[in-house]
Formats: sequence, structure tokens, C-alpha cells
Amino acid sequence: MLQQLANGLFAGSIYALFAIGFTLVFGILRHLNLAHAAIFTTGGFLSVDLISRQGLPIWLAFPLVMLAGGLIGLLLERIAFRPLAGRPDEHFAGLISSVAFGGMLIALVQARYGTEQQSISSEAFPNEVYTVAGVSISLAQLTTLGLALVLMLGLAWVVAATPLGRAMRAVAENARAARVLGINVERVTASTYALSSALGAMAGMLMVLNVGQGDLGMGLAIELTGFAVIILGGMGSLWGAMAAGLILGLAEALTIHHIGSSWKDVVAFGLLFAILLVRPQGLFGTIKAREV
Amino acid sequence: MSDTAPESDTIVSVQGLHVSYGRVQAVRDISFDVPAGAVVTLVGANGAGKTTVLNAVAGLVKPRAGTVLYRGRDVTRWPAHKLVAAGMVLVPEGRQILGTLTVAENLQLGGWRRRKASAAAIDEMYERFPVLAERRNLRAGSLSGGEQQMLAIARAMVARPQVILMDEPSMGLAPKMVDEIFGVIETVRSSGVTVVLVEQNARRALRAADTGYVLETGTLAHSGPAARLLKDPRVVQAYLGVE
Repeated sequence: MLQQLANGLFAGSIYALFAIGFTLVFGILRHLNLAHAAIFTTGGFLSVDLISRQGLPIWLAFPLVMLAGGLIGLLLERIAFRPLAGRPDEHFAGLISSVAFGGMLIALVQARYGTEQQSISSEAFPNEVYTVAGVSISLAQLTTLGLALVLMLGLAWVVAATPLGRAMRAVAENARAARVLGINVERVTASTYALSSALGAMAGMLMVLNVGQGDLGMGLAIELTGFAVIILGGMGSLWGAMAAGLILGLAEALTIHHIGSSWKDVVAFGLLFAILLVRPQGLFGTIKAREV
Repeated sequence: MSDTAPESDTIVSVQGLHVSYGRVQAVRDISFDVPAGAVVTLVGANGAGKTTVLNAVAGLVKPRAGTVLYRGRDVTRWPAHKLVAAGMVLVPEGRQILGTLTVAENLQLGGWRRRKASAAAIDEMYERFPVLAERRNLRAGSLSGGEQQMLAIARAMVARPQVILMDEPSMGLAPKMVDEIFGVIETVRSSGVTVVLVEQNARRALRAADTGYVLETGTLAHSGPAARLLKDPRVVQAYLGVE
């Protein structure tokens, strides 16, 4: 039981990290970025490449994958969202063009790495396992949880306490007023995508470290869970995404243990519907104001 | 900058401005000069194009033709944030304060371009507007309309502008609050900042201004020293009425 909770927590921290980037873009820009899962997949493959093929030490691969994710985010904003800004169908058109961008990204990943699963070399990460109170925890799991928490708290700090964060919240509330204040709205928008995508790519890397391999379908698998997390937590709420990610991870782990793995999604989405019946705005969301 | 001879030194010059929204021509061939240190007002009826002119000067809408000069430089195609950095700040119609952010955060955003230097400017604003100091940790949306207008002006002043563009600052305020806001405009001016004021309340605006421009359906109908416009029978009949 305790073991299941621990496993759920580790998986949940990856869900949360994936979802927090997605919800950041939605909360501030009201864009649904459907390329987020493709960036997650790209981050996963890139980390296999850097660690197993290029032989880079893992501590160097972490910042490189984040950097690559950030750059892809800038590109995504520039070609899939910015050209549509100001159009009456901006939001719907952006959703479609982000799907297209994600498709292109996956095609490029496939062109480079093929359709086979890419395994990470076993010596890439010290295979330490600790046993605490009968629960075995691997170093990879601990690293995942630690990094995910640090990154999510870091993001929350950026949004709450830095000039960039203040500008982001100003853009979220009223882009026109933000512009009048001298905020470069285009640059804040691009920064939001860079941050979001860096976290998305990092979530992909942590996933690969935990399961030992990456495959082209890994983004699809987490995308639905990610949506559930975002809605459960309240669209646009960073704290909501963090809490809901962990909750969903725990719920999945307990379901697999007590009922069976095929019930995993039934319980996860059942939970989603149940919460939406009681609190339509999600755990942390407010329907009217955009909480960031 | 010293403003010993305001009339001699034009800080903003608008020449032959045309602005269209789609096929609708909102502003046609408008030209005016703003002397440094002065208060210049654009008055006229609702829909005359006053706000459009101000937004074009502030870089929020792109004119179809015409030129905006700021301190002798052509800034017609500059984006708004660049103009703010250069010292020209808009206090938009409807105030556009950020209601879910605190009063303090709103003021900090006014100093977005200046970061460190803005702390002193914010303290100055708290001194000038004690009511904002009292409410600095409240959400700006909880302020009254007049207080929000003060916040909007204070927020613009934190950027230490040379020119402040004010769009309908007295709109929707109680008469007593209108007096207060015109008092604020006077202190803004006395601190050496040039003011371009757009107002529907033509009489109050002309009394506060040095020079006035009267807009009618997108074109300039009358212009001149504000004191003269206040007595001009055509202006009195159309915009001022009998007091």
C-alpha cells in the first residue's frame, strides 16, 4: 500500500510537471497549445540521444533538454500562434495550428530516431534503490520527484514574484492595459511559451528516466491525463495543476494495485467527472477571474 | 528638461493624420502641435475621433497616413511599449487598471521599464495620493471609480513620462471627484509633464488647458487658445451650452 502511494507520487509529479506548462499558457494567453505533448515526446527522445548516444553526463543533459524545449517553445509561438494574433478566430485557429506543429515535430523525431523504442543505457543513471519502511524507492524516482517539485515551485515563484511574472499576470488580465504600461506583450507571450515548453520537455526527460525508454506514443499517453489534471485543478491554475497531478498519480497507482491496470483510466476520468459535478471550476479554479 | 519657454518648444507634433477601421474613416487629416510643458485638450462629441487620435499617437492603432513626431523624431510606426520607454504614456479610456492585482502591483507595473528607479517614484505617488498608500495591498478592482482614475494617473506617472496622454479621465465620475481629477491634472502639469487631454466635458477641459482643438466627425473644426475657444460663439453653442 505504502509502495503504491510512493509510486503514485512519482508518476504524479511527472503529470503535474507536464500539466503545469500546459496550464501556464492557457492561464496567461488563453491559448490551448496542443503541441505540448509533442514537445514532451521530443524532450524524451532528446534525452536518450544526449545520454546514450552522445554519452553526456546526466546533469548536463537536464539543462540542455530544458534549453531545447525552450527554443522549440519560441519557435512554436512564432510560427503557430503569433501570425494569428488579432484574428477573430485566433483561439480556434491557434488550436489547429498547434496540432499541426506537434505533428511536424513528431514527424521530425521519427525521421531522426525511427519508430522503434529508444532505450536509455542502464549505466546512465546510478541504479540505486533505497528501502525505507518497507518501501523501495529508486534514485531515479527521487530525482524525478525532487526536480519536478523544484521546477514547479520555481515557476510559481517566477509568476508570483518577478517582474516577468508581474508582466505575465498583467497580460493575463488585460493585454491592452499591459501594452499601455509599456509591457512588450509579444515578448511576454514568447517567454510564456519558452517557459512552458522547457517544462514540457523536462517532463518528457523525467518520464524516460523512470520507464527506461521513450517511444513515439508517450506524448499521446500523457496528453489525456494532462487534460484531466488541468481541468481537475482548474484551468489556468498553477497550484491546481500541481495538486491535481499528484492526486491523479496516486489515484492511478491505487487503482492498478487494488482493481487492475485496465481500470486505471476509468478511475482517473471518473474522478474528473465526480469533481466537476461538485466543483465545476476545478479544485483551485475560479470561473470568472483567470487565476494564475 | 527645463521648460522656461513652453511655447517655443514643440514636444509632440501630429501632421496629416488619417486613421481607418476597416472601411470606416475615423479620423481625417488632423494636425496639431503640443508645446512642451503645456496642457493641450482635444474636445468634441462622442464619436468625433478624439480617442482614435490619442490611440494613434500612443502607438496602439496604426494610422493609414500621416506622421507623429515626438521630440523631433518620427515615431509613427513605433509600438506602444517603445513610446512608453521614450517617455510618452497613455492613461487609457476606462482607466484599464488591473483589477485582480493589488494597488502596489499596478504601480510597480507602471515602472515596468525602470525597475529599480521606480521605487522612489512609487513612494512619491503614495505621498501625493494618500488614499492609494492606505489601500496599497488591496485589489485595485475594489477601489472606487475616482480612486481607480487616480491609480491610473499615478501608475502612468511612475514611468516618469515627459508627455502624458489622458483619455476621458473624468468619465463616469461624481462631480466632486471630477474636481479632484482636474486638480490632479494641474499637479501633473506643475511637475513639468506635458498633458494631452481628451475630454467630453469640454468646458472643464478648456478651462484646464492652454490650447484647445475641437473635433467634429473625424476632422478638426476649431482650434486656438483655450480661453478664446471658451468665448467663441460657435464652440459655446455646439459644445458648451449655457452655464
